[in-house]
Amino acid sequence: MELLDIISPLFLALIVGGTFVGIVFGAIPGMTATMAVAVCLPITYSLGLENGLALLLGLYVGGISGGMVPAILLGIPGTPSSITTTFDGLPMTKKGEGEKALRIGICSSLVGGLVSLLILWLCAPLLADFAIQFSYVEKFLIILFALTVMAALSNDMLIGIFSGFLGIFIALIGTYDISDGGNGEIRLIPPGLDYWLESGFALLPVLIGLFGLAAILEEAERGVPQSQSAADVKIGSQSTFSFSVFRGQTVNLLRSGGIGTFAGILPGVGGSAASILSYSNAKTFSKHPERYGTGEPEGIIASEAGNNGLTGGALVPLLSLGIPGDSTTALLIGAFTLQGIQVGPLFIGNNPVTWDAMIVAMLIANLAMFTMMYFAIRHIARIVTVPKHILFPIILMMCVIGAYTINYGIMFDVWTLLIFGVFGWLAVKLRLEIAPFIIGFILGPSAEVYFVKSLESFNDLTIFFTKSWIAIVLWVLIIGSVAGSVALSRSRQSTTADA
Amino acid sequence: MNGLTEVTIAFETSHLVFPSLIAGVLAILGLAILIRERRSIAASGGYWRETFAKMDKLRFLGTLALTVLYFSLMVPVGNVWPNTGLGFLICSIPYVFLSGLIFLHDRGLRAVAPVAITALVAPTLVWWLFTDLFFLTLP
Repeated sequence: MELLDIISPLFLALIVGGTFVGIVFGAIPGMTATMAVAVCLPITYSLGLENGLALLLGLYVGGISGGMVPAILLGIPGTPSSITTTFDGLPMTKKGEGEKALRIGICSSLVGGLVSLLILWLCAPLLADFAIQFSYVEKFLIILFALTVMAALSNDMLIGIFSGFLGIFIALIGTYDISDGGNGEIRLIPPGLDYWLESGFALLPVLIGLFGLAAILEEAERGVPQSQSAADVKIGSQSTFSFSVFRGQTVNLLRSGGIGTFAGILPGVGGSAASILSYSNAKTFSKHPERYGTGEPEGIIASEAGNNGLTGGALVPLLSLGIPGDSTTALLIGAFTLQGIQVGPLFIGNNPVTWDAMIVAMLIANLAMFTMMYFAIRHIARIVTVPKHILFPIILMMCVIGAYTINYGIMFDVWTLLIFGVFGWLAVKLRLEIAPFIIGFILGPSAEVYFVKSLESFNDLTIFFTKSWIAIVLWVLIIGSVAGSVALSRSRQSTTADA
Repeated sequence: MNGLTEVTIAFETSHLVFPSLIAGVLAILGLAILIRERRSIAASGGYWRETFAKMDKLRFLGTLALTVLYFSLMVPVGNVWPNTGLGFLICSIPYVFLSGLIFLHDRGLRAVAPVAITALVAPTLVWWLFTDLFFLTLP
């Protein structure tokens, strides 16, 4: 099948529709791009891979972009990735420049998204070509590196590493699959649950529980704060937007988009880190950093170009190594699984049309996001008033459909959704880190196969250090990420002590 | 030195190698966390009491209870009309309505009416979409 056959009216409609629904999810505080993808995953089942991905990528781009609306108008980040947009967005709204701030954010989001798309298009095939030569040893070390990077960038490294290993441990429940070279024996199953857990916990109910149900339980715990009334949303019209605001901002736009993309490439680093890194860099290099936080357009440009830069970046490790860059791309693995396709170094080479379709879908999603938000921003702004008591029950119902249909109708998957929904709520209370947990859960079975097969082949632990120069480089990166994290943690502690 | 690093994995017990290793790492990490956080763990009773005191119990526990009931009833109801997805539809309508009602702050008639309409329309639309259009199995 050729690319032009795939770009059908349905393909385009799914991207545009997905982008719109993503903007809605992003614009409502408490709902995220990840939740949008989780809820809509079951729909992709009947759509086929390319059309399904078109919908999900639209949701992803729209969800990340929509978060700026409440961030600017209300000072509440719609998604965690919009946190730094509030710093200058809300002060601009208070000055009656809400519409101008939104349009600055929309244009910056487009540039950030396109920068990251370009990097994705250039880098993912190169990285995949390089990764094809990896043996089980290097593949295991890549997973170990992904876990240490995530843990190093967690709020607390020790708890981050613990969460990652907990994810791996839970993923190992069930059978050591013969198709992976295992011996077909079961392990770690509590008594009486052999029948249900023979294949372990299914990935998608776990993800939907952690990102759908858990988020709603958190909102329920806080009493489901009411959505803003239309009267509270003041978009302002005192200052009109002009593209001249971007004069002298080319470096800021490209740098922020690049930083966001880099943050996306690092496994498990979310959009909040992308926008914080971009914002702090822009402030460092600014001629007038004192204006940041008072309604400075530069700050919004950095934050929004940074968080949309994440979208393409997070797909690089997913499509070249099979390692998701963030929680939303972890859900995309579910879409591939549903269609029976494995992502990894061979994906791009074996599925060139799907790869091209993804690039086209990302491009169209960015353009659709820009068109919809730029020209209809006054209507989009009203999304923040959509009542949660209408949306949340529908989302809960969609979560059930997602969990139930994933394995052709297994009720235990629905209970898995509840178990991990409650676990996700509890994890926040216990300060466990969800991103490393998820990546550990997704990569755990592969890590086991790579580790055990390496030892079965070489019968020596030193093989993990001596197999190739790539293994040595990976160990340097692993030790560097842990050492960097320890240094960062100490510097944080000394700053706190000084304060 | 070589003897220390040599490892032989028996195929019949190979399913236990990696889980044992991960369990060991988890135990060490857990112990490290326990030692480091011993003071806050010892004082965690207050934290959980505060969490429970601040919690909106009606909405949180109500959502949980409704969800458990919803999941429990779906299959038995569906078994009355097998392979039609009616178990999902019949259970989803009251679930969407009641959870909407729980989340609602002002429960006057004007506010309840949209919740009731949503509870009828949304599950019906989703049921039709998934069973008739996408041919997916629902309980």
